[in-house]
Amino acid sequence: MTWSWFFKIIEEYWPMFLRGAGVTLLISIIGTVIGAIIGLIIGTIRTIPPSDNGFKRFWLKIVNFILTVYVEVFRGTPMIVQSMVIYYGSLMLFNINMDKMFAGIFIVSINTGAYTAEIVRGGIISVDKGQFEAAHAIGMNHAKTMLYVVLPQVVRNILPAIGNEFVINIKDTSVLNVISVTELYYQTSSITGNVFRFFEPFLIASVIYLIMTLTVTRILRLIEKKMDGPENFNVIPGNQMQVARPDHVANKIGKRG
Amino acid sequence: MEDIIEVQHLSKFFGENEILKDINFTVKKGEVVCIIGSSGSGKSTLLRCINLLEKPNGGKIIYHGKNILDNKHDVYEYRTKLGMVFQQFNLFNNYNVLENCTIGQIKVLNRSKEEAEEVAMKFLKVVGMDQYINAKPNQLSGGQKQRVAIARALSMEPDVLMFDEPTSALDPEMVGEVLSVMQDLAKSGLTMLVVTHEMGFASEVADRVVFMDKGVIAEEGSPEEIFNNPKEERTREFLRRIL
Ligand SMILES: Nc1ncnc2c1ncn2[C@@H]1O[C@H](COP(=O)(O)OP(=O)(O)OP(=O)(O)O)[C@@H](O)[C@H]1O
Ligand SMILES: [Mg+2]
Repeated sequence: MTWSWFFKIIEEYWPMFLRGAGVTLLISIIGTVIGAIIGLIIGTIRTIPPSDNGFKRFWLKIVNFILTVYVEVFRGTPMIVQSMVIYYGSLMLFNINMDKMFAGIFIVSINTGAYTAEIVRGGIISVDKGQFEAAHAIGMNHAKTMLYVVLPQVVRNILPAIGNEFVINIKDTSVLNVISVTELYYQTSSITGNVFRFFEPFLIASVIYLIMTLTVTRILRLIEKKMDGPENFNVIPGNQMQVARPDHVANKIGKRG
Repeated sequence: MEDIIEVQHLSKFFGENEILKDINFTVKKGEVVCIIGSSGSGKSTLLRCINLLEKPNGGKIIYHGKNILDNKHDVYEYRTKLGMVFQQFNLFNNYNVLENCTIGQIKVLNRSKEEAEEVAMKFLKVVGMDQYINAKPNQLSGGQKQRVAIARALSMEPDVLMFDEPTSALDPEMVGEVLSVMQDLAKSGLTMLVVTHEMGFASEVADRVVFMDKGVIAEEGSPEEIFNNPKEERTREFLRRIL
């Protein structure tokens, strides 16, 4: 009977499932964060306005070309194939025997980076031109404009898309089983080898995947809410004397909102 | 009076079109200069050329005796000396009112947070927005946004404050509050360069009025001369149309 198998397998193999889920979460969290940072950096570089200086313009062209190749290659090939090529390629060509975990994080990161680079570029382009001009008008250079004005808005705006990448990563780390990374899919496969049943172990795995993705989505929603701050602000009553310490006033009132 | 900005033979092309042709004028310390003219005459482009948001194609911009168009000049430092208030406010969406007025001071002028907040509060008081320091831009009305934008520019303590049609995007009932702030600033001796369609404001507050037409300065003089005794036919024509 299926249900008795279901519970028996959980009882016997829960530590393996848990470890697998842990590895899956770890790789997808770190991979998504590093990937998002790669994406932010590349997106920023790709939107640098062309310089008047011929030398700088030349270098920017070359860098942009390399970045375009990177984005196109990693978006245009399956992650499962990239895993094989990178893992066995580094072994064969450079004699580097990558740690499995490291290889997993590396592959997920650069993959996510390629996708978020485009998301970020879109996010930067969609920020109102007036925001750039206002920042330039108070004397900010491109780097400061990006860092203090544009990217914070981009990050907020692309957070749902990054969350989406995160959810995709939780599921897609399963392809790393081809290089024997001990994530959830790999562990589940090993369990099937022990119990000689396929349906129940993978049913359990799918429940665990679903719990992880649902939890992550909820948490990201909360983070978005937090970033948006309170919906209302409070007017500070007149004739206040503490002008010299406006931050005190600000803190007090911010907490109540 | 000392010249702050002197524009000499300035020209600007967009593609084939010469948008500014041989523009010459000066802004002296403490002066309020209003630029008027019909839509498309190049008023915004002129302001944007002066703070180098657009790159002029020819001519000179002399700032305190130095041509800032020669390459040696630090554009970013120069821009901190020129405040700019935009038609669309352009407050930083990711910051609240107080932060909008401190971020430039902290990150560009390297002031401490405490000092920046003190300066910001001083100018937020001037524009009557000191009670709204926690508000995000999207929680404010247009008039309030524009007053914060003015405080943001003032917080950098610029030599000149430039306005590009600061009331054109506002509902009629909010135009007054912004104009009255600008009037106070003019009285306080701030040097101002104002592109405006508010002829009442120009005739009352300006020391000098510049009339632009099709990329050239067609006429320039006191408000009295421009509004009551325009010499040029096209000035008369323009005033007939809008008054
Ligand atoms: N980036 C640009 N590329 C090409 N043409 C431009 C650009 N910006 C402005 N122009 C053109 O330059 C001319 C002057 O524009 P500008 O915005 O300076 O006029 P304006 O006097 O400020 O008009 P308005 O009163 O409508 O604001 C217009 O014909 C406009 O179409
Ligand atoms: Mg204009």
